[in-house]
Amino acid sequence: MGKRWLSVGGLVLMVALFATGCPSKKGTKPGKDGGLGDEPVDSVGSLDATRKGGGPGSTKDGPLRDLAFGFDSYELDDAARASLREGAAWLKDNTKGRVEVEGHCDERGTVEYNLALGAKRARAAKDYLATLGVPNDRLSTISYGEELPLCTEHTDDCWARNRRDHFVLLGD
Amino acid sequence: MTARWNRLLLLLILAVAPPRLASAQVHLQVLDPGSRSYPIAIAPLKNLDGGATKDVATKFADIVARDLTLSGFFKVLDRSAYIEKPETSGLTVEETNFDNWSVIGAAALVKGGFSLEGDNLVIEAKMFDVYQRKQLTGRRYRGSVDLVRRMAHRFADEIMQQFTGERGPFDSRITFLSNREGRFKEVYVMSLDGGDMQQVTKNNTINVSPSWSPDARQLLYTSYKRGNPDLYLLDPLTSRESRLSQKAGLNLGGKMSPDGSTIALSVENDGNTDIVLINRAGDLVRRATDNLSIEVSPSWSPDGHQFAFCSNRSGGPQIYVVGTEGGTARRVTTTGDYNTSPSWSPKGDRIAYVSRWESGFNIFTVKTDGTDVRQITQSSGNCEDPSWSPDGRYLVYSSTRGGKRKLWISDAQGISQVQLTTGNGDDSSPAWSRWLD
Repeated sequence: MGKRWLSVGGLVLMVALFATGCPSKKGTKPGKDGGLGDEPVDSVGSLDATRKGGGPGSTKDGPLRDLAFGFDSYELDDAARASLREGAAWLKDNTKGRVEVEGHCDERGTVEYNLALGAKRARAAKDYLATLGVPNDRLSTISYGEELPLCTEHTDDCWARNRRDHFVLLGD
Repeated sequence: MTARWNRLLLLLILAVAPPRLASAQVHLQVLDPGSRSYPIAIAPLKNLDGGATKDVATKFADIVARDLTLSGFFKVLDRSAYIEKPETSGLTVEETNFDNWSVIGAAALVKGGFSLEGDNLVIEAKMFDVYQRKQLTGRRYRGSVDLVRRMAHRFADEIMQQFTGERGPFDSRITFLSNREGRFKEVYVMSLDGGDMQQVTKNNTINVSPSWSPDARQLLYTSYKRGNPDLYLLDPLTSRESRLSQKAGLNLGGKMSPDGSTIALSVENDGNTDIVLINRAGDLVRRATDNLSIEVSPSWSPDGHQFAFCSNRSGGPQIYVVGTEGGTARRVTTTGDYNTSPSWSPKGDRIAYVSRWESGFNIFTVKTDGTDVRQITQSSGNCEDPSWSPDGRYLVYSSTRGGKRKLWISDAQGISQVQLTTGNGDDSSPAWSRWLD
């Protein structure tokens, strides 16, 4: 399922860039051989009714990858900071469009507390991007707490995947 | 069996007995069998008109029986053993053959009758002491036919009043979230019998934290239906709704004060949540906390002068209490490193909360001064979202102990755990209303 997400995410990112008039730069990967990618999308983790942008805006190789967090933590680790530095550089090269940072949690713990924790996670990434020179008016945050898990198994691996910041590229 | 034994047992119940559950009813899963409770017979109502028999007769008896079983104080005797038939018996002491009830082991007897006056249903219900052969209480209820559920819950509450000196909690409602009809958690309301369960939102997006107004007529909840998680006030009967708080970011966990004038909720300001108080028009009354830590889940004290909330200002989440006029917050929970979801008892003396313990989540209660911690659930699954009954003697909560997340009820001592909801999907975030009158 992971790979499916990545290629679809790449396609959406490419479309988003095309729509805003930006040339495709490093990190965007359309379907294989440049052809049209067409694969089923798993509905887990997507929220059609509330997402203002398109689908997932990040890819494994793309400029704004999901960031991972520890349990009950909103601290950015070294890997998250490195990823955000790449993201900030990419955003400075691609000056159109806004970024919404989504904060997510694993299923453990209380719904309300996790929504607040997700807000902290999203804010942490937004603040770091801002210190790296990304204008504040290009950045917004929203917390989904534990409400939109990527996976639903009750395992350490799944919980780790769900504790994340996710980035969505929006139009101007 | 003597009257003395009868009085003794009654005294025993009044004095010391914590709620205990009787043997299994149809929907009830009993985790603490073998306990001794007060044996009561609940006869179907007599049709006083002799006209078309509605299902009123058995519905009333069924609901009273289920409530009394839920209470843990009673063992409701199996109806198939009853000798006396309602249609050939009267509703007075003189017209009741108490030998027919004592012989099947009943210490108390509920019987009554119903008739239709125009569109109105009239129910007369009585409870008798079988050994002393006397009436303990009698009530007459009048209202539209669809109020039969409430009449039954009201009479169950009256029986509890007679036996325990405190009104029972059953003439009330529960709101909760469920994804039984689809992918997303929508808001539902139901009576304690569950027979009138009603879905009150259908927006196919994220809904969280439903709670009641103190008059049990309106619901507060947070929904992402317009993108941002805003706070809404909904009248489930008329579907009239207003948006009370719509600050960019979270508008979460709204709880109305006991006098209904003020709403405490958690509002996000650029990633940081604090508790604010607003009035029913949505205007800011006061910022109640001002911290860079997480502050969520306010729960009012019954006098409305304080509220409990959850904060991670000391590291992990803990329960605190602060005055609504401001002042320094006082930490209540001191054991465990993850305590959330405070719910202040309507009796005022204790706060229920969720604690993470060895990777599982369970319900605890603590005195408001932080002493006398009691563990209410000891589950292999996770137990969360505690909410007190209007009489402060029970808690409703969600648990995964049976697989799916479902609603359960515990007495305040944690002795008995009874499953309340069944069916498809997960049920969560229950909130028990005050009494309906």
